[in-house]
Amino acid sequence: MDETRFKRIKDLPSTHILGTGTAMCAGCGGLEAVHEVYDILGEKTVFVNAAGCMTLLSIYPFTPFRGSWLYTAMASAPAGAQGIRDALDILLEKKRIPRDEDMDVVVLTGDGSAYGMGLSATSGAMERNLDFIYLCYDNEGYGNTGQQYSSATPHAARTSTSKGPKGFPGYKKDLFSIWVAHNPLYVATVLGAEPLDLARKIEKAKELKGPRLIIALSPCPTGWDFDPSESVEIGKLAVKTGIWPLKEYIDGKVVHTKVPDRRLPVEEYLKKQGRFAHLFSPKRNDKLIGEIQESVDKYWKGI
Amino acid sequence: MYRIRFHGRGGQGMKTASRILGTAFFLEGFEVQDAPRYGAERRGAPIFAYVRADREAINERGIIGRPDLVIVADESLVPIAAAGVMTGITGDTVILINSTVPPDLWQNRLNITGPILTLPMTTEVEDRLEARFIGALCAGAAVRLVDVISLKSLKAAIGRELEPLGPEIVKKNMEKALIAYNSMDGHAGCVKEGGGMKAEEYERPTWIDLPFDEAALSAPVIHGAATSELMKTGLWRTMRPLIDYDQCNRCWWLCSTFCPDGAIRINDEGYPEIDYEHCKGCMICLANCPPHAISAIPEEQAKGRSEGGKKS
Ligand SMILES: Cc1ncc(C[n+]2csc(CCOP(=O)(O)OP(=O)(O)O)c2C)c(N)n1
Ligand code: SF4
Ligand SMILES: [Mg+2]
Repeated sequence: MDETRFKRIKDLPSTHILGTGTAMCAGCGGLEAVHEVYDILGEKTVFVNAAGCMTLLSIYPFTPFRGSWLYTAMASAPAGAQGIRDALDILLEKKRIPRDEDMDVVVLTGDGSAYGMGLSATSGAMERNLDFIYLCYDNEGYGNTGQQYSSATPHAARTSTSKGPKGFPGYKKDLFSIWVAHNPLYVATVLGAEPLDLARKIEKAKELKGPRLIIALSPCPTGWDFDPSESVEIGKLAVKTGIWPLKEYIDGKVVHTKVPDRRLPVEEYLKKQGRFAHLFSPKRNDKLIGEIQESVDKYWKGI
Repeated sequence: MYRIRFHGRGGQGMKTASRILGTAFFLEGFEVQDAPRYGAERRGAPIFAYVRADREAINERGIIGRPDLVIVADESLVPIAAAGVMTGITGDTVILINSTVPPDLWQNRLNITGPILTLPMTTEVEDRLEARFIGALCAGAAVRLVDVISLKSLKAAIGRELEPLGPEIVKKNMEKALIAYNSMDGHAGCVKEGGGMKAEEYERPTWIDLPFDEAALSAPVIHGAATSELMKTGLWRTMRPLIDYDQCNRCWWLCSTFCPDGAIRINDEGYPEIDYEHCKGCMICLANCPPHAISAIPEEQAKGRSEGGKKS
């Protein structure tokens, strides 16, 4: 499908269906992505949510959704999605609901689930070719419990469990490639601060039938330590520095959807965030900044 | 036993304040409990943290019902019932409010006779980069008001709690804590330990009896759409974004698309309108408006103004 409804930014929806009044932090980049995605998917969506910040979207008796929502344990949202898909299919087959009441089943989890605890359930769902969308909002840590590190935390970031002068000693897992290795129908990376790219990808995913998996980098003022007003700028810098490549996997190929002409140095992105402050003060850590730059350069050389 | 509550908004450092004060008490040889009150709500929402300190083992648990000292980092929380600032306040409770309004006016407003003190940290609240020091200010003031903790322990506590943030930030916090400490000189020791609570004094909450219903009735199922709109998250805001409609060039997609909360709608003429009942004041709209048509003013000054959010 090449024809997109979203040619220019003016084609983006001007009304929003996600309800206001949720408990997410002011300036939450994850909520920004979720509301943009929901506008494209529409009301006939069942969200299957694993424990994380977004669990607090629906707190009985309040919900921002207009369709359905189900809460599962942290590791098992894709299994929950299987149950709902099966139930909908049975209802359709028995003609207990009409075709136009069918719903998109969307798993909504953080990176803690997607990159870690929930990975095995996701692998199984792809293996069974489950017809579902997976939306991971990636705030690079266990945000809801106070930003402990997760498998998505970038090298050198300070989290509440990596407070030393070198920050997190590990490296961010390449979930995109792990998902792609399963050869599902569609995989993409998106960002709330790039709404046109996001809209095109969600539009494409919505039209397909099978496993479709999306990772949204989600700048998190609370966990990454920056002023809420900078959420969008920091997201854009993640793209401009090449740290967050916008890409998709479709028909067996990985395509980059937005290649920065001239990549900005990674420190433009790093220095805006308190979680990397130790790389710049009291003394600049050229070695660590250089390592991060190198890994980004290496990625882009390889494509 | 000392029972102290800090009230502020998520992101204003109330957890830090309680950590610093708790550690300072501990270094002074006290038994201590300190805890933030976690709820569903986050950055910008009313939150509180509390500290209990005693020379003997503390058997009390849970949220502090009858505080000896209440410190309010954000005065806009005082009238919000849900913030619980006034919960359990007696004639002996000392209240310290971050405010430029004089104490006697507060006494009038709140209709209480107990001691009220103010400490004007307001500029800090408006400048969000400075907001990170409010925790230290509150802890510094509390230490002076109880006056049983040495400056040495206060400094050591700040060093311990904030060390991972680097020496610069520790230093800045020390300075702020000292300013607040010194500003309370005239009231040193005015906070007295409340007595131990006896089991007989325990007040039962007013229970509502819910009959046991079948699952179809009693399971937490929500049938309405977007009921979250009943939650007025506009109360989280300390700064208010204002749109200058003469400068707005109706590009509409940016502020409205980027607003994480979907609190900016586009009217029929293509102008954005801000829903102040739900805008949390993140200022993403202000930061991303191409013609710079959006500005911000402190919520205090904005009260009663209707323009700036709706095209007239
Ligand atoms: C099996 C299990 N372990 C731990 C938790 C506690 N817990 C609740 S939310 C959360 C963090 C989830 O992190 P992530 O998936 O990245 O979502 P975020 O909080 O960042 O939105 C944790 C550890 C849980 N609910 N279930
Ligand atoms: S902690 Fe981060 S991801 Fe979670 S609600 Fe707050 S800003 Fe959003
Ligand atoms: Mg996370």
